[in-house]
Amino acid sequence: MPKIPIIMDCDPGHDDAIALLWALSEPEKLDLKAVTIVAGNQTLANTTRNALRVLTFAGRTDIPVAMGADRPLMRPSIFEQGATEMVHGQSGLDGPAMPEPGFEPVPMRALDLLIKTIEESEEKITLVPTGPLTNVAALFLVRPDLKAKIERISLMGGGSYTGNWTPAAEYNIYVDPEAASIVFQSGVPIVMAGLDVTHQAYITREENEELRQKGGRCAVFTAELIDFFSRYHYEVEKLPGCTIHDACAVAYLCHPEIFTGVDCHVDIELEGSLTAGTTVCDPGNYEGKNHNATVLYGVDRERFAELFIEAMSRLDQ
Amino acid sequence: MAKIPLIIDCDPGHDDAIALMLAASASEVFDLRAVTTVGGAQSVDKTYYNARRVLTAIGLDVPVARGAAQPMVRKALGGTEIVHGESGLDGPKLPEPDLTPCDLTAFELLCKTLEEAEEPVTICPTGPMTNIGILLAVRPDLKGKIREFSIMGGGFYMGNWTAAAEFNILADPEAAKILFDSGIPVIMSGLDVTKKAYVTREENEVLRANGNRCSVLAAELIDYFSRYHYEVEHLPGCTLHDPCAIAYLLAPEIFTGKQCHVEVDVNGQYTLGKTVVDWFDHTHLPKNALVLYEVDRPAFVELLIRQLAKLR
Repeated sequence: MPKIPIIMDCDPGHDDAIALLWALSEPEKLDLKAVTIVAGNQTLANTTRNALRVLTFAGRTDIPVAMGADRPLMRPSIFEQGATEMVHGQSGLDGPAMPEPGFEPVPMRALDLLIKTIEESEEKITLVPTGPLTNVAALFLVRPDLKAKIERISLMGGGSYTGNWTPAAEYNIYVDPEAASIVFQSGVPIVMAGLDVTHQAYITREENEELRQKGGRCAVFTAELIDFFSRYHYEVEKLPGCTIHDACAVAYLCHPEIFTGVDCHVDIELEGSLTAGTTVCDPGNYEGKNHNATVLYGVDRERFAELFIEAMSRLDQ
Repeated sequence: MAKIPLIIDCDPGHDDAIALMLAASASEVFDLRAVTTVGGAQSVDKTYYNARRVLTAIGLDVPVARGAAQPMVRKALGGTEIVHGESGLDGPKLPEPDLTPCDLTAFELLCKTLEEAEEPVTICPTGPMTNIGILLAVRPDLKGKIREFSIMGGGFYMGNWTAAAEFNILADPEAAKILFDSGIPVIMSGLDVTKKAYVTREENEVLRANGNRCSVLAAELIDYFSRYHYEVEHLPGCTLHDPCAIAYLLAPEIFTGKQCHVEVDVNGQYTLGKTVVDWFDHTHLPKNALVLYEVDRPAFVELLIRQLAKLR
C-alpha cells in the first residue's frame, strides 16, 4: 500500500502529542511531511514549544515545524486567559519530564510551509488538523487553487450529541467557528472525528498500566501524558477513561476499518447564542444538502486501545 | 392512589391520536380534564376537528378547545402533508365529532382548568408549544398550578425537520423557550427516546388482532403514519413520538433519563429550534428537564397493546 503523505496541523496538547507519536509510529502507512502549529490548547508559543519537545523526544528533529495563527480569524482568543489550564496544565503539556526543544521552527509561517509542502508534493496531501482550524482556513482563503492538491482532511473537531466546551460546541470548533465553516464549505473531503466517536475512544486505567508495563521510554512517556490528561476526564467530565480525541484523526487514516461513519452534510453554526461553534450534522438527511463530510459515529474501542498500545510500543523498538 | 390531573395540548396528528387513546385507556391513573389543540401537524381548524373525532371514537367526552392558529412570533412551518396527510389524520375512517360543545378558547380552557384545580395539574404538550407559551407569558400567576410538563419535543442527537431541530420545537421555538425557562419541571420525550419507541409491522398486527374498535383504529393510524417512517426516514418501524409523553407518566420505569439543563435556541442560523441539552453540565445551570434517552421497547409496545385493548 502506498504511504499517505500527511501534514499535521496541531496545538499540543496531550492528545495532539499522542496523535503525533502515533503518526510517527506508522511509517509504513503515513509519511509525515510537516507539522504546522496553531494556538488552541495553549498559546502559540506554548503549543509550538510542545510540538518541538515531542518531536525532539521522538528523535524526529528532521520534520519541519512552522508557527501559524496565534489567534482565531475573527474572534478574540480564549486560550490567553488560562481557560484550558485545567485540561492541559500551564505548559499545555504538563505531566511527564520532557527534553527542551532540540531544534527550531523553520523560518516561515505555517501558511507558507503548508503551501510549499503541498506545491512540492507529487501526490495529493492529506491534512490532519487536531486544533482550531485557523491555519487550514487561512490556506483555503489565500490559495483556494491548492484545494485540488488535498486528498482529504481527517480532523478532530465537533460532535453532534454533545459539546465539551459549551453544551453544544466542541473546543476546536468553538475557538474559531468561522475557520471551521470555511473548511467544511471548502469542498475538500472531510472525515470528522468529533466527540461522538472520540468519547468512545478512551483508554482505561488498566490499559494505561498495560502500556506503562511495556517499559520503553515512549510507552512510559505516553502513559504519563495520559496520567495527567485523564484527571480532567475522570474528575470533571466523569468519563470512563482517558479520551485521546486527537489520536482518532490519525488512527482513522491507519485503521479505517475499526471506525464507522455516515456521509452527511455538516454546517457550522456561527450565530446561535447557545450554539455558536456547533457542528450541525444531518445524518438523517432532513435538509437534503450535499454530503461534505464523513462523520464518525462509532469505533471498536477495544481494538482502538490495542492498536494504540501497539503503536506506542513500536516507537521503542 | 390519587389520579393524575391531566391536560393534553396537541395537534392530532397520528401519534397525538394514539397518545389520546393511551391516556383514555388508563382512567384509573389519569383524570383527563381538558384537551387543547394547536396548529402543527395541520392547521388548528383541522387538529381541533381531529381531536374531537378521535375522542368521539374513543367515547370520551372531555372539553376540547381550539387554540393558537399561528406560532407566537414566527410564521407557521407547513409542509406536514407528507407526514400526516391533507386532513392531518389521513388513513382510517373516523366518526364525526359528537362531544358536549365547549365554547372556550384553548387559553380560556387552560386558565379555567388550572384555576379550578385544587392540586397542580400535569400538562402534556405533544404539538408546538404555542398554547403553553401564551399561557405562561400571559398568566404567570398560574405556574403554581402546573405540576410538570411531560412533552414530546426536541432531541439532542439530531432533529427531524432540520438537521438540528425537531418539528414541535422548531414550529414555535419562542413558545418552547418559555416552557423550558418557566421553572416548572419538564420531562422531555425527544427524538433520542422516541426514535427508539417504534412499533414494527408484526407488532402492529398484534395490536390490530386485539380486535376492539380503538385497537383497530390505532393500527390503521400506524399503517398510514409508518409510510413516512419507512419510506422517507428509513426507520425500523413506526415511531410513536407523542405516546411516549403519556407512556412515561403511566410507566416511568421503562424509560431512562438524565436530569439536565435544557435551553431552546431561538437565534441560530442552523440551530434554530434546537433543544440545547447540557449533558455534561458545562453550564452548572439548574437542571430543568428530565431528558429521556432510552426506553425498554418491548415493554413499551406491550404497554400500548395491553392498554388499547381496554378501550371500546
